[in-house]
Amino acid sequence: MKPTGILFFPAFDWAISPTHPEREERLLYTRDQIFEEGIMDLPQIKEYQPGLADLKDIARVHFCVPDIESQITEAHLISAGSALVMADAFMQDEVKNSFAIIRPPGHHSMTVSHGNRGFCNINNEAIMVEYLRKKYNVKKIAIVDTDVHHGDGTQEIFYHDPDVLFISFHQDGRTLYPGTGFMDEAGGPLAYGSTINIPLAPGTTDSGILYVMDNLVLPILDEFKPDVIVNSAGQDNHYSDPLANMAFSAQGYARLNTKLAPDIAVLEGGYSVETALPYINMGLIMAMAGIDYSNLSEPDYKPERFKESERNLAYIKSIVKKQLDLFRHREEVVAKNRKDAEYFHNYYKQIFYDTDYIHEEQQNRLRMCPDCCGFRIINSSAQHRNGQLYRVLCIAIPVNACQQCHAEAISAYADMVKNGDAFDLIYLQDRVNDEYKVLDITSSREIVL
Amino acid sequence: MLIGIDVGGTFTDGVLFDNGSIVTSAKKPTSENNLKDSLLQVLDALLINTDKVKIDRIVFSTTLVTNLLATGRGQKTALILIPGHGLPCLSYEISPDTYFLKGSIDFRGRQIEALDRKEILAVADKINNSGIKRVAVAGKFSNRNHSQELMVRKIIQEKYPDMLVSISSEISGKLNFPRRAVTTYFTAMTLTEWNKFADEIEAALERRGIKAEVDILKADGGTIPLEVSRTKPCETVFSGPAASTMGAVALSMDDFNSVVLDIGGTTTDISLIISGQPLYASKGARIEEQLTHIDAFAVKSIPLGGDSLVAYDNGTIKVKPERKDAAACFGGKWATVTDAFNIYNSMNLGDTKASVAVLGQIADNAGITVDSLCSQVVQNVIAHLVANINGMFTAWENEPAYKVWEVINKRKFKLNRIIGIGAAAGAIIPAVAEKMKVDYLVHEYSPVANALGASVVRPTLAVNLHVDTQNQVFTVDPGGINGKLDHPTKFQLTDARELARKYLVKIAQDRGIEKYAADSEFYMEEQFNMIRGWDRIGKLFEVGVQIAPGFIEEYKGVKI
Ligand SMILES: [Zn+2]
Ligand SMILES: [Zn+2]
Repeated sequence: MKPTGILFFPAFDWAISPTHPEREERLLYTRDQIFEEGIMDLPQIKEYQPGLADLKDIARVHFCVPDIESQITEAHLISAGSALVMADAFMQDEVKNSFAIIRPPGHHSMTVSHGNRGFCNINNEAIMVEYLRKKYNVKKIAIVDTDVHHGDGTQEIFYHDPDVLFISFHQDGRTLYPGTGFMDEAGGPLAYGSTINIPLAPGTTDSGILYVMDNLVLPILDEFKPDVIVNSAGQDNHYSDPLANMAFSAQGYARLNTKLAPDIAVLEGGYSVETALPYINMGLIMAMAGIDYSNLSEPDYKPERFKESERNLAYIKSIVKKQLDLFRHREEVVAKNRKDAEYFHNYYKQIFYDTDYIHEEQQNRLRMCPDCCGFRIINSSAQHRNGQLYRVLCIAIPVNACQQCHAEAISAYADMVKNGDAFDLIYLQDRVNDEYKVLDITSSREIVL
Repeated sequence: MLIGIDVGGTFTDGVLFDNGSIVTSAKKPTSENNLKDSLLQVLDALLINTDKVKIDRIVFSTTLVTNLLATGRGQKTALILIPGHGLPCLSYEISPDTYFLKGSIDFRGRQIEALDRKEILAVADKINNSGIKRVAVAGKFSNRNHSQELMVRKIIQEKYPDMLVSISSEISGKLNFPRRAVTTYFTAMTLTEWNKFADEIEAALERRGIKAEVDILKADGGTIPLEVSRTKPCETVFSGPAASTMGAVALSMDDFNSVVLDIGGTTTDISLIISGQPLYASKGARIEEQLTHIDAFAVKSIPLGGDSLVAYDNGTIKVKPERKDAAACFGGKWATVTDAFNIYNSMNLGDTKASVAVLGQIADNAGITVDSLCSQVVQNVIAHLVANINGMFTAWENEPAYKVWEVINKRKFKLNRIIGIGAAAGAIIPAVAEKMKVDYLVHEYSPVANALGASVVRPTLAVNLHVDTQNQVFTVDPGGINGKLDHPTKFQLTDARELARKYLVKIAQDRGIEKYAADSEFYMEEQFNMIRGWDRIGKLFEVGVQIAPGFIEEYKGVKI
């Protein structure tokens, strides 16, 4: 039996600020616990060294404003790079599955990155997904986000992509950051049903979440038949997490992982650094490696402490029914949308960067293509913390774009190079040719990655 | 004058070293069942024509503990574990007599679950009834709080005063409970035999009228006084390879990156010297397939030596891992790797005609010329060595890193030189160095570099301090010392350094090696703020200070 790959990168010398939840101490006790257990010495585990992502790996997903370097630190390159190391280990059959226990996290980062949102600057899972498609030609990928916060960044990045199924369960957005992740956010018009949100009431317990797994997540995965399953493995559903209000346990997380059986798991949030993280991370490692975790629990855990209420269970059942129904009818809806479509689908979006206090405004145009999921043009503007206002135009070509979309997007970029005076920067993200351009209008300097 | 003796698996080597050169050396076959006699035979050979009064220090390395464990001659020992929550108990069943107790400590040293006195007594009764008199006790996170281990020992010894109980917090303070348990278990198993050996050595030296300081070489390339080693037999494992590596450092004495090839009769040990410092095994020494907390050099042993047989089997020329005899040029009957290098490089080692004769037979069988045979053997050996050397570089470069700084300044091994030691080094090293396009060093002392290394290395001591200012406690390794902080709120990194250094000096004094304490250096520092809510509630410090591997003051190198 092949081992489970583990990459532990606690970034002991990196913090957003000294007292921020995303600080040096975050994985300290996890280090103590997994090292003291000696689990890395077991033959079922293979430990990996961190890697560094290339700027191109980031450009494949993000439009960083004004450039990649100003949105990231070395820690971000390592965190994203480490997810890629785990992807390589899995794809090259060195391991049966892999788990990147890394920080900084990424799942709140969206396509355009003006700054830090929800402790994230760049999206580790999204970077890994595009890397899997580019390097290994993986067709269908499912991302299951088990962080307590809605994975709004990952959702936005793959919102129009029918080949990437994004499932997120989280504490209801009416009660928690980022305030999104409702059931009607179900994917763009050409990718309807490939985004599934499961907003849960505060206080939901192990049995509630495992009910969602058994009756919604697993059946959907069964029908979607992804080539790779990625777990965006946030740990803040824990009953002791200081930033949220759920009642999930380490045992619950381990059982969830066993059921989900992800190919690659990537740590996201989780800020109960002493009471939860050491035990959840142990539980996830054990679950992925197929080691019996019945002896694992938090010091203060009592099985009888949390019990799912009848009322909440009924609510959960109603969500499950509704979302299963939505997923199963997704193809009809997409067909209808395509038939009724105008040339472009336009929508407006406002994005708030809580950490950096930036308000971004976006005008999106999606080509409603009969043959592919369409290229997208994002007109984005935001005033950065330093007072500088940036107006940028971003053209994104999906990896599976049809020839015509590809040609149209390229010519749109060529046109903007001549007539883009209203903008500071023009971006072209050509995933088909794996080429990424950014043009600085003022200096006429173009950088190609 | 200094004496170094390395009791190796096949041979025991010894040197008498004085004033920058080897006065005399001795080599005897090792008698596996009587290491003490092998050691004393070599000692006596060195003492001929030597004034015993002038001997200042004797250092020896031995395979005794390794042999005891490998041959199952260690004492039957029960292992009592306090594993708490986490991995299934099954994964910790190291001894056939393993018992599990209730009780639990967490990473902050807080008691999570209390011990159960009745349960402890029942386990003690069972151990006693099975006729076992030796117990190793290990608790998860006992390195952060040893109270449960102490209590278990107390309860057992109150009822069974003749039971010898070793506890893991006194053996190692490093994280990794299974390795701590294994190390404690092996310690308990070999304690009596090792003490018997130490007694015999002391008596033998006294009979010879030798009053010199007697030290034991450890796997980390340093020494400890024989007296101190009595409680730490496991630290003496793998001291042979450590002697060789330190011998290579002693011969070179610079800050280059070197690979050390210790080419013996049947095996080659490969180790790395990085900027003049030997590389440690990142996971500790592996004894009997079990990882331990013994600091040891990273040594890769491959079954290929100067006496490895050259043979023609099923249509191919082979280098076999076995040894039958010395090389033909040195009086053996069989064609060996040394013979092939002898002819290939026209080295005129020993009786060259004998090399040609045995190689000639094989060449005839294979229907090729002797030159072509030698060339094939040499290429085969070189390729094998080079592949293993490169494997070691890669393994080192690929070790995990936990800080941004470590990843950005990614290590890359740039080899400057090969240092050849061991009897067959002279024949083989030049060709390997040529293949790898680097310099090499083979010194006239290379054949006895292991014993030379033993004779001139200094003591080592690594002290690790863990401080928790919120709980106002600290722990010190070695010794499993637990203490209370005087001024927790004002405690800073400088205070942690001072405290660690204070304990290093104290432990060095207890061991009689205080003169080296001034040379100690900090090798590890960690500092974490504990934040709850948005407030700092305390700090955690981890500070390591050590007397690193090195040489005694009198040693200034050898003439190149
Ligand atoms: Zn979160
Ligand atoms: Zn198209």
